[in-house]
Amino acid sequence: MTPERFRTVVSAVLIVGVAVSAALIGAGFVAALATGWQGSLLGTTSATTAATTDFSNLPARLVSLEPAAIAQLGLLTLLATPVTRVAASVLGFALEGDRLYSAITLAVLLILLTSIFVLR
Amino acid sequence: MTPQADLGIFAISVAAGLIGALAGVGGGILVIPALTIGFGVDFRLAVGASIVSVIATSSGAAAAYVRDRMTDMRVGMFLELATTTGAVSGALLAAVIAPAFLYVLLGVVLLGSAGMQVARMGEETPPKEPPSPLASRLRLESSYPDRKLGREVPYSARRIPLGFVLMWIAGVVSGLLGIGSGVLKVLAMDAAMRLPIKVSSATSNFMIGVTAAASAGIYLGRGDVDPQVAAPVALGVLVGALLGARLLHHVSNRTVRLVFVPVLVAVGIETIGRGVGFGI
Repeated sequence: MTPERFRTVVSAVLIVGVAVSAALIGAGFVAALATGWQGSLLGTTSATTAATTDFSNLPARLVSLEPAAIAQLGLLTLLATPVTRVAASVLGFALEGDRLYSAITLAVLLILLTSIFVLR
Repeated sequence: MTPQADLGIFAISVAAGLIGALAGVGGGILVIPALTIGFGVDFRLAVGASIVSVIATSSGAAAAYVRDRMTDMRVGMFLELATTTGAVSGALLAAVIAPAFLYVLLGVVLLGSAGMQVARMGEETPPKEPPSPLASRLRLESSYPDRKLGREVPYSARRIPLGFVLMWIAGVVSGLLGIGSGVLKVLAMDAAMRLPIKVSSATSNFMIGVTAAASAGIYLGRGDVDPQVAAPVALGVLVGALLGARLLHHVSNRTVRLVFVPVLVAVGIETIGRGVGFGI
């Protein structure tokens, strides 16, 4: 992989992450303004009128098309974007034949995943 | 939130993203006081929204900076090794260290470095020095296209061990205090490693998203990220960051420093304020 191609790929990962999260956050936010923050787009009262800061019951609330849940999915996509970028860079440096930087980036990815999932 | 408040938060977030993209920082310095003082948002939720703002600034601006060769990805990845290790150490240290003293210490260091920045205000590119063998071995040398100067500007990292240690400290500080990680990164690259200020800013932007993502899980788990606050912040910051990343090409290095120094002073004052008991 040429350095130019590598840059294009990393840049594309960031652009896609930003675009998808902005679309979800925007759609969820506008819908929430229209229907109220605790409602559902399906017209039914959401089973979970829990606080919008709770991310644990997200799948169920997404199924009932709760606007706040759509915005939350967008926020999660945004938070996952830098991690995806690091993962893509491990591969990019490897394909570029740069073993030193592939190893450095892999170490960063492992530390990052540890701090997200283990330390809390 | 009323629609007027949502619009107000959006507008301030655009400004935060714009300044953040130019100065290489996350914009929390603008977002947190605006939310708490301006819109009466709970401090905890304002900090949660500022984590989102850091990641939005970073991803939005870095998408352009990586493509345009403003971000040095090797410098960024090498130093992320230091910041992520530091962030983990900071999170572990948080249980045993009283942060008040650290806030004040960090604030004093930042205000001191603001003085040094002013002294370097006229400098367009770092002075030429003999190449460092470590920089060539680690491939921490490259060049960036400066459209304002109209030429390719070569650079080579200096004092790499010092830069690495400062980045580790930047990681500890962000893991421990959750503030100042962007300004410390720019300072480590600009003042210690003598990289051009535009490269320092663009590479810091590239890195701060990773530092923030490392601690995002903690904020989500604690219920500090409320989409009613974080959604308008994220959208505004993304717009601002995309604008800022375009603007960087058209301004001089001196202008980048002119944006960075007030941010540095503001973070310094806010940090000392938190140390002596004001949380804004």
